[in-house]
Parts: sequence; structure tokens; C-alpha cells
Amino acid sequence: MRRHETAWGLAFVTPIALQVILFCIVPVGIAIYAGFTNWNGLSGRQDFIGLENFATFLTDKYFWIASGNTLVMLVPIPFYLFFGILLAVGVHRGTPGSGVFRILFFLPYISSIVALVVLWKWIFNYQYGLVNQGLALIGIQGPDWLGDPAWIKTTIVLMIAWKLIGITSIYVLAGLNNISETYYEAARIDGASAARQFFQITLPMLTPAIFFLTIIGVIGSLQTFVEVQLFTADGGRDYSAATITYYIWQKAFGSNELGLASATAVFFALVILGVTLIQFRLSRRWVFEGE
Amino acid sequence: MARTNTTVRRTGTVIAFTLMLLGALTMVLPFLWMLSTSLKESKLVFDYPPQWIPNPVEWEHYIEVWHVVPLATGLLNSLIVTALVVVVGTLSSTMAAFAFAKLEFPHKGAIFAVLLATLMVPIVVLIIPQFLIYAQIGWIDTLLPLIVPGLLGNVTMIFFLRQYMLGLSTELLEAAKLEGAGFFRIYWSIFLPLCKPAIAANVIIVFMATWNDYLGPLIFTNSPQNSTVQLVIASFSAFHAEQTDYPMVMTASIIAVLPVIILFTIAQKYFVNSFAFSGIKG
Repeated sequence: MRRHETAWGLAFVTPIALQVILFCIVPVGIAIYAGFTNWNGLSGRQDFIGLENFATFLTDKYFWIASGNTLVMLVPIPFYLFFGILLAVGVHRGTPGSGVFRILFFLPYISSIVALVVLWKWIFNYQYGLVNQGLALIGIQGPDWLGDPAWIKTTIVLMIAWKLIGITSIYVLAGLNNISETYYEAARIDGASAARQFFQITLPMLTPAIFFLTIIGVIGSLQTFVEVQLFTADGGRDYSAATITYYIWQKAFGSNELGLASATAVFFALVILGVTLIQFRLSRRWVFEGE
Repeated sequence: MARTNTTVRRTGTVIAFTLMLLGALTMVLPFLWMLSTSLKESKLVFDYPPQWIPNPVEWEHYIEVWHVVPLATGLLNSLIVTALVVVVGTLSSTMAAFAFAKLEFPHKGAIFAVLLATLMVPIVVLIIPQFLIYAQIGWIDTLLPLIVPGLLGNVTMIFFLRQYMLGLSTELLEAAKLEGAGFFRIYWSIFLPLCKPAIAANVIIVFMATWNDYLGPLIFTNSPQNSTVQLVIASFSAFHAEQTDYPMVMTASIIAVLPVIILFTIAQKYFVNSFAFSGIKG
């Protein structure tokens, strides 16, 4: 029976093990190796060139512009956290219509990014977009949201924040459901106001959920790519919207510098890992760990 | 005192309701505008203030759009990829989740830890080598790179289902074993039915991710006959960005978004609950 169990257990996990080995572990190995070569994908030749690729992108002006833009992609996180918490608290306290609201808030999250960008390009069009026509009514000349180097980032940041409010509220709601009602009963007996209850009980007890959301939020934001690719033809005027992932994509599939792109990707992966570890380290200071 | 409390509570409810209504409008209006534009005559598109209910209503775009872009090919390709990944991938994921939760085999903990670790690897590190592998075996510009990895399972789904199954009683398993049921039978006739709500939630997530995927098709396919619906819409809108064909682009976008919205509305109960029980504490 035991041998039987081992056989079935191994058989059941074989597909996913194969997937992880073939489509993740082997590719990571190839990426690390390729990062040290001058691979261009065309000639089939690859020579070991040591750290040259790393020197190349670290001295590339566009890499640093892309790095700055990538940091800007972190801006949506506090926005969707704030509105997500607000929405979750509203649903949790049983505001009328919560069920319907919850579905509506999900529309952007479940829709494809392609359709959303089509829509946003249309709404934020300089000449005839809904936003600028609305601003014109109150006498404001709206900016060139999609063409102007400063505003294109704002447009992308706004869209990401808007898209993620719904899903954030669901995670926060799960956190709210975990808070025992007894805390609130005790607070009410002590005569604590609603605001005080929120800041003394709700918010501290939500910190594990908020921590989780910042971890996946930072990892996701740093990898922003599809929005940039869809909103701009070439990373925006003066590379104003290009992120690091966009830079890597362009090097790999635009100019066939596969070795250079691999080196950048591996370096970037290490940066993400480092940032995540720092977040975990800092979390000890602010995340509530249970009584 | 009691009366003031009720008043405060009522005011709170009114404020909360108003805020949520405003928020919901922000989420929904763009979509309503999309729907409205898809039903407009081209010359009405730039009217301001916009006509929310167009006059006349032009249903023709929903017929014409199929001739203007290879939308049918895109939808068919997306359907093939999504159906295979969702059905077969869910089977392999549930099998793995069952094994990790309820069976004993050597190195179980280590294998599971490696699976979870792979979730940390940024996609950007994987796509270049994956592209090279697919180029070597002749998979570029076919649907295979979009299908085959998904057939073998999904690590996130395995993680969530394992957590769920850990919460199910092992006595069931022992009882079934005593009655002589094989492990496959125990998985298929006992655990699979018990996990239905959790599986439903994960199916929506995988369906959404596969149907809406843009990066995979963008990198691994290039000819129109292998385009998924997302690529068709993206190239259509790029070509028509500066022309007056907005109603048509909106029509195509609505057709692409519809399947997910329908599925989500039907099954959102499971989807929302899945986050509640899967917990955050890990």
C-alpha cells in the first residue's frame, strides 16, 4: 500500500514538475548563461564575454531613463490601497447595494488590458477625448495625455490604480473577515469612537493583508510592460514611458541583442528579489503579527 | 444617546453609499461609453456632450466587424487555447494539489518548496530563453507555446487547492482506503467533488488569465492565422488609431471582453469567497 501511495503521489505531481523544469528552471539557467555571451540569435554564435553586457547596460542612458520610469510605476500602489480599503470597509459594514457595487468594481480587473487601453486612448485623446472635452467645458485646456512625456506616465499610473481597486478590496475584505468582533465590542464598552476603532483596531489588524498587497504590488509594478507597449509605439517620446521590462523586450526582440537582454533581465530579477527581501525585513516594524 | 448613535450610523451609511456609487460610476462609465460608441454612426462619435443612447442605433457594426478584421480566427484560436488550458490544466493541477495535501511520497516538501519558489521568478527572465527553446523545436508562430505549459498545471492553483484540501478530513481518505478504493478513485470520487467551489474560483482566474493574455501571443506568434483575439484587437486599434473607425474598434473590444464578464457574473460568488477562505496568513 505504501509503495502504491508513493507511485501515485509521484505520478500526480509529474506534470507540474515537468512544467517547472522545462519552462522555468531550464530557462533561468539559459538566461544566466546567455547573459555572459554576445548571443544575437541570428548567427547562432555565442562567445563568452564575461561581464561586458552588464557594463553595456549600466552605462546606457536609456537603461537609466527606463529605471526612473519603472520607479514611477510604484505610484499607483498607495492609491489603490487607499480606495481598496475604503471600498472593502463599505462592503463589510453592509452598505446597501454592496453586492452589485462589488461586481462593478471588478469590471476593469477582469477585462483584457488590450480593450482597456483602446478605451483609455479614446477617453484621453488630446483633441476629442472625453476627459479633455469635459475639462474644456470648465475652461481648462487639458494636457496631451498620451503624447506629452510627463503626462503619458500619469495616464498609465491612473489606469493601473483604477484597474486594481476592485481586486485590492477583495483581499482587504478577507482581512476584515478575520478580525474578531470581540475587539469591537470591548472598544464600544470603553466608549471608543468609530474613527478611533478604525485606527486602533481595524487598521493594525489589516496590516498583514496590506503587507501581502504591497509585496505582490511592488513585484507587479516593477514589471510593468504591457501598458507601455500598448499605449506607445516606441516607449513614448524621448523614451518617456519605457520601463525596464520594456527596455529588455526591445533589446531582445527589437534589435536581437539576446545576450544583453538576458544580462539585463537577470540583473533586474536580482534587484526585485533584493527589494522583496528588504520589504520583509522592514515588515517587522509595522506588520501586526497576532497576539 | 441611542438616537445620536443611530443618526451617526445613518450619516455614515449615506456617505459610504455615495462614495461607493461614485466609485462604481468611475468603473462603469468607460464601459458604457464603449458600448454606446459601438452603436454609433461614425459622424456622431465626436459629439460633445456625448450621446449616451445613440440616435440612430447602429447594430450593423456587430455584423460588419467580422469582415473588417480576422475576429473569427482570433476568437477561435483563443477558444482553443483557453479551453485546453482550463480543462486539462485544471485536471493536472487538482491531481498535484491532492498529492501534496493528502499523499505521502519522498521529497514531497522539497518539491513543493521548489514549485513555490518559481512563482518569484520574473516573467521577463523567462521569455527570452523560452523563445529560444520554442525556436529550436519549431513552435514559434504556432499555438503550442500558449497551450502546452498550461496543460501541465498551474502553480498558483495548486497552492490554493492544496491549502483547501489540507482543511478536508483525512478520515475520509482512510475510510476509503479500508474499503479498498484506489488512490485515483479517492481523488476522483471523493476529493474532486468536495473541492468544487475552490476549483470554480480557480477556473475563473485561469480562464481570465489565458483569455486576456497578451504578452504570450505577442512574443510567440506573428502571423494573422495564429493570432488570438487580444492580438487582433491590439493590431486593429493600432491601425485605426487616427482614423474615424472608433465604433468598429469598440465593437471588436466588446466582443473580446464579453466572455469573461459573462463567466465572472455567473460565478463571482465562488471567486469572491475563494479569497476569504484561502486566507492571507499563509
